[in-house]
Amino acid sequence: MITILRELVQSFLTFLERVGLLVRFALRLAAILPLGLLRPRPIIEQVYNTGAMSLVIIMTCGLFIGMVLGLQGYDLLTRFGSEEYLGTATAISLLRELGPVVTALLFAGRAGTALAAELGLMRATDQIAAMEIMAVDPMRRVVLPRFLGGVIAMPLLVSIFIVVALFGAQLVGVEFFGVDSGSYWSQMRSAVELSDIREGLVKGLVFGVACSLIAVYEGYNAVPTAEGVGRATTRTVVISAVVTLILDYILTALML
Amino acid sequence: MNNQSGPAAASAAAAQSPSIAVLRDVHFAVDSGKTVFSGLDIEIGRGVVTAIMGPSGTGKTTLLKLITGQVCADRGQVVVDGLDVARLNRKKIYALRRRMGMLFQNGALLTDLDVFENVAFPLREHTRLPERLIRTIVLTKLHAVGLRGAADLYPQQLSGGMGRRVALARAIVMDPEILIYDEPFAGLDPISMGVVLRLIRSLNDALGITSIVVTHDVREISQIADSSFIISEGKVVASGTTAALRDHPSPIVHQFVDGLADGPVPFHYPAADYHEQLLGGQVFA
Repeated sequence: MITILRELVQSFLTFLERVGLLVRFALRLAAILPLGLLRPRPIIEQVYNTGAMSLVIIMTCGLFIGMVLGLQGYDLLTRFGSEEYLGTATAISLLRELGPVVTALLFAGRAGTALAAELGLMRATDQIAAMEIMAVDPMRRVVLPRFLGGVIAMPLLVSIFIVVALFGAQLVGVEFFGVDSGSYWSQMRSAVELSDIREGLVKGLVFGVACSLIAVYEGYNAVPTAEGVGRATTRTVVISAVVTLILDYILTALML
Repeated sequence: MNNQSGPAAASAAAAQSPSIAVLRDVHFAVDSGKTVFSGLDIEIGRGVVTAIMGPSGTGKTTLLKLITGQVCADRGQVVVDGLDVARLNRKKIYALRRRMGMLFQNGALLTDLDVFENVAFPLREHTRLPERLIRTIVLTKLHAVGLRGAADLYPQQLSGGMGRRVALARAIVMDPEILIYDEPFAGLDPISMGVVLRLIRSLNDALGITSIVVTHDVREISQIADSSFIISEGKVVASGTTAALRDHPSPIVHQFVDGLADGPVPFHYPAADYHEQLLGGQVFA
C-alpha cells in the first residue's frame, strides 16, 4: 500500500516537473517572440510546412466528416420532420466543436509529429549543438518559427476544414437525399451567429498554441537516439490529443 | 593608466599569454553520477595544433564541451582566452563562441540547407554583409576545402569525407581564432583522412589560429600535432610532443600509443568468471 502511494506521489511529482519545464519553455519562447517576428520568412516557410502540407488530409477528412454529419443529421431530423434544419445543425456542430477539435487532432497527427521528429533528429544529429557552437540560439532560429507557423496555420486549417465539411454535408443532404438547397443554406445563414464563428476560431487558435507548443517542446527535448525521437513523436500525439479535449471542455464552458 | 576592465581587459591580457585555454583542477561528473574528470589540468598553447587523445569514454568530447561552455565543471576552472567560462552569461558565452569554430564528428550540417547555405549560415546570422560579399567568402572557403563545385548539393548527397570538409568550411567562415575538431578522422577512407589531415595543418598555419583536435587516431595526428595530451581515468596521464609520448614510461600510454588490446585498459568489461558463468547456466532476460 505504501509502495503504491509512494509511486503515485512520485508520478505526480514527475508530472509537475514536466509541466514546470513546459511552462519555462513557453516563457522562453514568449521572451524571444519579438526577435522572431523581425524575421518573417522562416515563419512563412513553416506556415507552408505545417499548414499547406496538411491541406490534403484536412480536406479529405473534412469532406467525409461532413458527409457523415449529413447522413446522421438527415436520419435524425427526418424523425421530427425538420430536415430543412440540416444546414443549421451541421454548421453549428462544425463551427463550435467538430471543426476545431478534429482539425487539432489531425494537426497533432500530421504536422505535430513531423515537427517533433524533425527537431528530435536535429538534436540527434548535433545540428542543434552546432547552432549553439556557432553562437546562434536554436530556440530563436529553429523552434520559434516552427511554433509560430503552427499557431498561424491552425485557425486557417480549421476554417478550411469547416468549409469542406459543410460542402460534404450539403452533398449528402441536398444532392443525395433531396433536402431543399434554399432551406439548407438560408436556415444556416439565419441561425449561425458571429459568436459561433468566433468560438471556432478562438478554439482553433488555442489548440494551435497547445499542439504546436507540445510538438516543439517534445522534439527539442527528445533523447538524441532513434528510440528517443520515436518516443517524442508518440508523446506529441498522445499529449496533444488529451490536452485538446481538456481545453475544449474548458473553452466550451467559458464561451457558452 | 589602463582604462580597460572586465572581459575586454581579460582578453587583451590573455592575448599576450602563450596559452589560449587553461583547465585547472577540473572535476566533472555526468548526471548518472559517473566521474569523467577528477583533477584534470591542461594548458593549450596559442597558435599550435594540440591533440587530445585517450581511450574511448575518457571524456574527450566532454573536454571540448567544457571549453565551449556547453557544460560547466563541478569544480575547478576553465579559462578560455582569459575568460572564466563558468562565470559568463549566455550573451558572453555566445560572444566567445563567435571566435571559435567547431568541426563535429558527424559534420552536423543543417539538412534543410544546401552546401552553400550551410557555409553561409554563420555569416547570415551574425553579419549584415551584402549578398555579393557573402557569395565571395563562401566560395573562397569552399575552394579552400576543395568543394567549390559541390555548392549546390545537399548534405544527403555528400560522402562522409565531403560532409566533414563542408563542415570545416563552415567552421572557418567567420575566421575563428580557435578551431576545435571532434574526432575528425572517424569513419573516413584513407584518401579523405589524408585530405582532412593536411587541411587541419594548412588552415592552422595559413590562418594563424589555434587548433584543438580530439582523436584517438595516434598515427595520423602524430604527423601534424605540435603537442599532445593523453587523458585516462579523469586525468592527464601524459603530455608533450608525439615523440615524447612514444617514449613515455607509463604502461597506459604505451598501450594506447602502440594500440595494444590488453593492458591497464582491459579488453574485457568487468564481468563474472568466464567458466563459472558458462557452466552456471545464468540466463539473461
